[in-house]
Amino acid sequence: MPVIIISSDFHQTAQAIAQSAAGVLGYDHVGRESLAKAADRYKVPEAKLHQALDQTPSFVGMTSKLWKRYLAYIQEATLSQLLRDNVVCQGLAAHLYVLGVSHVLRVRILSDPEKRVEQLASSHGLSPEKAKKLLEREKQAGRRWSMEAFGLDETDPSHYDLVISLSQIDQDEAVKIMKETAAYARFKPMTYSVNCMEDLALASRVKAVLMDRFPGARVRANRGTLIVETVALKREKEKKAKAIKELAGNIPGVDYVEVHVVNDILRQAAESFR
Amino acid sequence: MAIITISRGSYSKGKEVAERVAARLEYRCISREVILEASGIYHIPEIRMVKAIHDAPSILERLGGGKLAYIAYYKSALARLVREDNVVYHGLAGHLLLKGVPHVLKVRIIADLADRVLSVMKEEKINEQDARSMILKDDQERRKWTQSLYGADPWDSSLYDLVIHIDRFTVSDAVDFVCDAAGRDQFKTTAESRQKMDDLALASQVKAALVSLSQEVAVTSDYGNVLVFTRGDDRLARKIREKIKVLSRDIEGINNVEVHSGASIPPDAV
Repeated sequence: MPVIIISSDFHQTAQAIAQSAAGVLGYDHVGRESLAKAADRYKVPEAKLHQALDQTPSFVGMTSKLWKRYLAYIQEATLSQLLRDNVVCQGLAAHLYVLGVSHVLRVRILSDPEKRVEQLASSHGLSPEKAKKLLEREKQAGRRWSMEAFGLDETDPSHYDLVISLSQIDQDEAVKIMKETAAYARFKPMTYSVNCMEDLALASRVKAVLMDRFPGARVRANRGTLIVETVALKREKEKKAKAIKELAGNIPGVDYVEVHVVNDILRQAAESFR
Repeated sequence: MAIITISRGSYSKGKEVAERVAARLEYRCISREVILEASGIYHIPEIRMVKAIHDAPSILERLGGGKLAYIAYYKSALARLVREDNVVYHGLAGHLLLKGVPHVLKVRIIADLADRVLSVMKEEKINEQDARSMILKDDQERRKWTQSLYGADPWDSSLYDLVIHIDRFTVSDAVDFVCDAAGRDQFKTTAESRQKMDDLALASQVKAALVSLSQEVAVTSDYGNVLVFTRGDDRLARKIREKIKVLSRDIEGINNVEVHSGASIPPDAV
């Protein structure tokens, strides 16, 4: 049975639909409550994980390094839950990093803009025009977040299998559409697609471990073989590769680690001026 | 029963989906017919209509307003053709031209570029590079068209009720989605939604009749009470009133007409 990942332009909408879909389908719902366990495992404040999902780094907020680390922890925690079938996931940006897995149905839900404007206007005491502008700013902020975090524009419909607008179609109808779609044969897990998901989960586990010392490392997995890409000066190359192999090699599920080190041109240039 | 508009990039299987939806629901399927209708009613050579509709307006054209007149004719013809419901329209910007009518189901079909390129290569018997250029140029032209006339990006999924990524589904799946959605209560014609469609058709018809006098004319209709807004001076307002007197005899459904010059134009005006 498939994994359903729901994204929305409004968090509460996604949550409501995800919970409803999980109920109707008899699936588990994976949402932001799962951040508590991730916070516990990685010994970080849960509030910071929530913040990392809502905001981009800034001078007065979270640093970029910390932000990326928290995102890596969130990715790992989410992917480990998506290894089981029959899951509806929302609120964890999974639509941006669970890619290339055929038994994942990715749905974007768009709130009714008129209702949103009304809600914003009443909750913030704004005129409809100001509420509309606020809505547009929120949309652009969401887009910026997804681009900075995962290099994808979350408003681009080509990243989803289905986009459903709630302007005319109500929530129950949207859930029905998802239920019917999830039953299609192409969303049934196959050995290959399950392997793809396991590879993503393994790569995320390794990345989470490497974040502390090697925050810029990029990790891919293929049936127990890890490929880690990082940058380093020529003189550090061997040492760095060895350290990465030691760290990653100890993680269950990792059979072999290959490290590709790219010359750090910027640091090299900086050092040559000293 | 619904009016279904299917928007798609070229070679995205949108036409096939539209035709099969129409066949399954026993609806009319229209696309080029709108151009033929507009050409016939407004006595414009078909080829000129096609060029005007297909290519995005240049800055000069927007200033001169020539193309805007053709858009007005197209919109009037489209509204006329879909007024009776039970129709699938796949063509230019149906989701924008028929905005505000509740029983219009707005669907967009999207496909991966790689698959579209393969389709073009097969059908047009051209190489990959040429196929890619052709598709990208067409996409850019359509985007420019929509953006310059409506300030909207056709790729913005909030303009549609449903966006279907055809590569993950078969054409049959997409047809199922659309037919299911069309059968839902939200897209059934009610007395109120039919009135909205009638008002849109009437406003479009009046606009098309007035556009030769001035491009800066906007029209609304509410139960046949037509309001014409113009940015022009009193002289233009007088000309419009005179023309409308003549029009009222030929256009059915006009209860009353008011002309407002200098007033701000409502966002839902045609």
